[in-house]
Amino acid sequence: MTASFLDRQHTVAPPGFNRFLVPPAALAVHLSIGQAYAFSTFNLPLTKLIGITAAAPGDWDLKQVGWIFSLAIVFLGSSAAVFGRWVERVGPRKSMFASALCFGGGFLVSAVGIHLHQLWVIYLGYGVLGGCGLGIGYISPVSTLIKWFPDRPGMATGMAIMGFGGGALIAAPLSVLLMAHFKTATSNGVLETFVTMGVIYFMFMMIGVYAVRVPAADWKPTGWTAAAQPKPLVTSAHVAVDMAWRTPQFRLLWVVLCMNVTAGIGVLGQASPMIQEIFTGHVTPAAAAGFVGLLSLFNMVGRFFWASTSDYIGRRNTYMIFFALGIVLYASVPTLGHMGSIPLFVVAFCIILSMYGGGFATIPAYLRDMFGTYQVGAIHGRLLTAWSVAGVLGPVLINYIRQYQIDNGVPKAQAYSVTMYIMCGMLLLGFICNFAMRAVNEKYFYRGSTQS
Amino acid sequence: MKGRLVALWSLVGIPLLWGVMKTLQNAMKLFQ
Repeated sequence: MTASFLDRQHTVAPPGFNRFLVPPAALAVHLSIGQAYAFSTFNLPLTKLIGITAAAPGDWDLKQVGWIFSLAIVFLGSSAAVFGRWVERVGPRKSMFASALCFGGGFLVSAVGIHLHQLWVIYLGYGVLGGCGLGIGYISPVSTLIKWFPDRPGMATGMAIMGFGGGALIAAPLSVLLMAHFKTATSNGVLETFVTMGVIYFMFMMIGVYAVRVPAADWKPTGWTAAAQPKPLVTSAHVAVDMAWRTPQFRLLWVVLCMNVTAGIGVLGQASPMIQEIFTGHVTPAAAAGFVGLLSLFNMVGRFFWASTSDYIGRRNTYMIFFALGIVLYASVPTLGHMGSIPLFVVAFCIILSMYGGGFATIPAYLRDMFGTYQVGAIHGRLLTAWSVAGVLGPVLINYIRQYQIDNGVPKAQAYSVTMYIMCGMLLLGFICNFAMRAVNEKYFYRGSTQS
Repeated sequence: MKGRLVALWSLVGIPLLWGVMKTLQNAMKLFQ
């Protein structure tokens, strides 16, 4: 593979190229990096590397292992913010290749860490290197898809970002299968699984590297013309990344994303114990695992559904629904718990998680509406720092408030009620920020050439 | 071009459908 193959100019699509070949290229990357959501499958096996069947002296504990995922999410946000401009400059093929090297390489370095039983090597491998692969891979196809689908930007980015949600649905059973396959009397199969997954994901992401194309500068979908009368809150101008993040709109969108993610991510991380504690004696651990799977499924479906819907009803209205409906649903959860209605409880959380995914998938199109297409990938990268913050804030809120309640004598089944009302407050803040959204002032517009 | 389209969508679609199927199988336990 020569360096030129990876360059942007070699990825320009020939005339007559079918644009529907690009979403599967993006999906190949997002389905792979979406594995991160299923990393918890490895948590327990990683605490039994010496003892194999049970933790032995010298084995790591769950708290230490838990940092691997946290580090990966922190580096996802930071690398997306730092490398966003580079991704825009070099184009999707080179950035997807870099992402494949980092993500696949992260697994292989971690396998070395398992072999040597050195946790810091795994932090460095999956956490830092893999995390950079997550961040670069997440943003690499976004601006390309927006340029290919100017008529349906929400649907296009929703399709790709749906892959990030769907990745966990594949990775969770795949990890279990591989660990069972490689398990022996002297190994619980994690090392071999890491090596296998590193190779599989690298190859799968290479499908995206080969298939991705950028449209020619003057390309437009057949029969499509940009609206003569622009819609409200949809700009035809462009704002550069260094200017965009100084605008009030960027800050408002940052809070909007942060509040939407905080509300969902805390629930996703605690879903299994939460349903078991609220419905004590009625939900088995196996059924709770089914509940977690169902939430992941709705997280994935919501990404495509809500992002596509936003093409018709507008981005601001879509987020209005997320926040307003979210407040109603969160506020009703304690009542549903008291009523003992498991089906209604499950339905409420499935809708909440669909809106959590929808928030991620709709944000690139929202950014495109506000700041144009010029450096939308880089702007998206900087906005993803909101995810890193929410990734800490959401679980901390749920866990600490629950523990505080229990320590103060509140029964476990009711320990989540206060948290749900706090989530309502956060969603209200998101609602206000979204409501305050106005078009970007012309003084921020980019006046130079936008052709890369 | 059509063959390539089908091949690419199958490459990403089949693993995804497998994942969805496995998830739904687990989710059924919630209602049993």
